[in-house]
Amino acid sequence: MEFDELQKIWDSQNQRPMYMINEDALHNRIHTKKAKASHITNASEWLLMVVNAGAGCVLFGLTASKAGSTIFMYLLAGWMLITALAVLVSRIRRLQRENRFDRSLVGELDHAIAMTTYQVRLSQLMRWNNLPIALLIIAGLLEGGKPLWFAFALVIFFILVNFASGWEHRFYQSRKLELETLQRKLQQG
Amino acid sequence: MTESEQNNIFGKWLQQHKGQIFKVIRAYAATTMDQDDLFQEIMIQVWHSIPTFREESSVNTWVYRIALNTAIKWVGKEQKYAKSRESLDTVQAVLQEAKVPPDERLNWLYQEIHKLDEIDRSITLLLLDGFSYKEMASMLGITESNVGVKINRIKKQLIARSKQLNPYGI
Repeated sequence: MEFDELQKIWDSQNQRPMYMINEDALHNRIHTKKAKASHITNASEWLLMVVNAGAGCVLFGLTASKAGSTIFMYLLAGWMLITALAVLVSRIRRLQRENRFDRSLVGELDHAIAMTTYQVRLSQLMRWNNLPIALLIIAGLLEGGKPLWFAFALVIFFILVNFASGWEHRFYQSRKLELETLQRKLQQG
Repeated sequence: MTESEQNNIFGKWLQQHKGQIFKVIRAYAATTMDQDDLFQEIMIQVWHSIPTFREESSVNTWVYRIALNTAIKWVGKEQKYAKSRESLDTVQAVLQEAKVPPDERLNWLYQEIHKLDEIDRSITLLLLDGFSYKEMASMLGITESNVGVKINRIKKQLIARSKQLNPYGI
């Protein structure tokens, strides 16, 4: 069979109704889903900013008002506020880059890869951010005279948090890899 | 643009270009559930794209481009997270297959298209729907010569398969 014949088979469907649309259901789904469109990254950024800024401020206030507070708690509060600021700066830079991509497939893939790269970096940053937070909390507790088993329990907790963060990080990394594979397929002959 | 204006344009585009969207859905999603899911995903992307449409291309090209871009990105995601999607029991189906007698030759062609990778599938659809090399290059963001190389390979592949296996008496 030559290509012209394949073309005729293809064109034959133009006269045939393929599907019927339930317009009410479509309208409902669009309105439900459209709010989720720029979703995960946006939510992660806001969550990180609010949690770090909030926790940093509360910790700073509590430490300052309590006699005999250790330097580690001040450092922890400062670290959390710096983290919130770093996420804010990243978010502003991400939003400034948003409109630089065209609507060709290459442009869309570039955009999707840039977004996933950003998510990979953000998740990596947050994963490593657990380390100084854990060290400062444990140092503060030990200096404040808390028992050793309590510090040990916290170490276990932070190991679990790190494991969960690693899962999230690998999720974004594999998505990035899939998009890069698509981009390579498109560029190859 | 108000939401009501956006909804009016969306309704008009859907009526005029649903045929193109259906072809993309059938080429990229095999099961009824997947077709329904991909259709919703494309519709959401089309709805979002309305305020950014600058009339630099025809609406047909614009909608086709969004449908293909969404489908290509949907494929990888879909295979991986198929199990976690909402069940059809809990979601009202948006898309229903029309009750028409099946065209075996067309089914065979879609099966062959489905065997191609995501990128080649989009090029095949554009080729069969009469887009020029220049339009395809612009839609995909690659050079015309690269489009030419890919089309040459795809055509040879489809013709060879049609000669190898002819179960429907085409």
